[in-house]
Amino acid sequence: MSVSSSRKIMQIFGAELDKLITLPLIWLTLMSTFILNLALAAAFTSAGLQGTAGTQSILNIGLASMGYLQAGFIILGILATCSEYTGGQIRTTLTTIPWRGLQLSTKHLALAMITIPVAFIIAASGVLYTFIMIRDTAVVIEIDTIITTLIGATGYLTLTTLLSAAIGALLRRTTPALVVLLGYYFIVSPLMRIFLPGINKYLNYFPDTAGNYMYMPRSPDDINVLTPMQGTGISMLWTLMFITVAIVFYCKRDA
Amino acid sequence: MRAFNAELSKLFSLPGIWLAFLIGAFAPAVITALDSIVQKEEIIAGVSTRLSEVGYIGLALGVQGVIILGVLAVSSEYLTESSESGGGAQITTSLTAVASRLHFLLAKAGAVTVISILLCIVAIMTTVSTTYLILGEYTPAFEWSRLIGAVCYWTFTALLALGITLLTKNGIIPLAVLMINSSVVSFSVLLYKVTKLALYLPDRAGLEMFMFTSDTPFTGSLFDRFHNPFTGGLIMFTWVVVIFIIAAIVFHRRDVAA
Repeated sequence: MSVSSSRKIMQIFGAELDKLITLPLIWLTLMSTFILNLALAAAFTSAGLQGTAGTQSILNIGLASMGYLQAGFIILGILATCSEYTGGQIRTTLTTIPWRGLQLSTKHLALAMITIPVAFIIAASGVLYTFIMIRDTAVVIEIDTIITTLIGATGYLTLTTLLSAAIGALLRRTTPALVVLLGYYFIVSPLMRIFLPGINKYLNYFPDTAGNYMYMPRSPDDINVLTPMQGTGISMLWTLMFITVAIVFYCKRDA
Repeated sequence: MRAFNAELSKLFSLPGIWLAFLIGAFAPAVITALDSIVQKEEIIAGVSTRLSEVGYIGLALGVQGVIILGVLAVSSEYLTESSESGGGAQITTSLTAVASRLHFLLAKAGAVTVISILLCIVAIMTTVSTTYLILGEYTPAFEWSRLIGAVCYWTFTALLALGITLLTKNGIIPLAVLMINSSVVSFSVLLYKVTKLALYLPDRAGLEMFMFTSDTPFTGSLFDRFHNPFTGGLIMFTWVVVIFIIAAIVFHRRDVAA
């Protein structure tokens, strides 16, 4: 049976999307991320209310939970690729779709399709909650700023998810991938920022710090800041690099 | 005793366990090395305020290693194998060999305890030698009581990880929650801003066993002392016991295949 190539890609894409949607752990992860985010937003809001009320902006507080939120998306990315390797699903996948590079890139595409709306909803819900709670005291922000920031946050979460998926495809096992990524995002990176202030300028070029500039409201007194565009570019480069490496390994390696 | 040996042998033959050993033994030393370098500059400049804390911060963060150990010890049992090799889980075999579930659980907890104590001793040795190497004559004396506190903290954390994983059966959630919680951006520190009850959370209370600080660069004045080391340890131990009792009851009543 010969199928035209655009139709082939659509079929692969549909299959990958179907596989992701039917993975129960993914829904569990997304639901708990959503609930956890609201709980964290509530915690940050009440901490913000107790503190210096009136000086903090809604966006600062609403997006403060982003640091924790990315853990949920890291898990999402890892699950998407590593689930293939538990139980030999990968062999079935590669029997039906014998084009490895195409298969893995469509998987990333399908993952992005799921991540973008969910990330936007989750990030927006945190900001919205904060807005409802402290709209009397907080500084008024224009709606444009909020939308730009939310798009930045969505982009950051999506890129993080894709990066995690690529790492998951490289390591092929859930636990090491999870340890490596969480260890980097939550331990190595913050520690480097504290202990080695001299290299902060270079830290800007790492995926998480660069990505942070996509949504962080900028403080004017900081010298080594990137514009949101630069941040997006750098973290996109990292993600693309890891996806490329993952695809190359995927094509070369025995499944 | 034979069940205990079997558990030890199972743990040592897990591939993921080497990652845990690697992190547990060397991450504290690396973190301490970085901290010591910063400290040394501060000492020479005469502005050092937290000399007595050097090294302990590495031990507080190096606990990641035993978290992996505790989580893997249980989640590896529940990992379903591929359908090509029968689709079974190790737990059915384990419980066929050791029929009493309580004995099985105790043997596993014992094996995890022994390994995490040994791992912590190794970590303390690497950390202390790193400090001496870098700080030289400025090195503060390491008190035994605090080092023992660190060993207790590691062991309790490993047991907590084991108990929680026994409840969830899946390694991902406990691993993520515990790793984030023992990192720099801990949930407990955040919750503390909301309610003072957060002081009684296991990690926060357990840290008091060996962290005497009141002013670290990232937690600031949040980290005041509230318990003495003994009470802190007691609070954490209570958590471990409670989680273990719940886990034991659930494990005892639950169908293995479920």
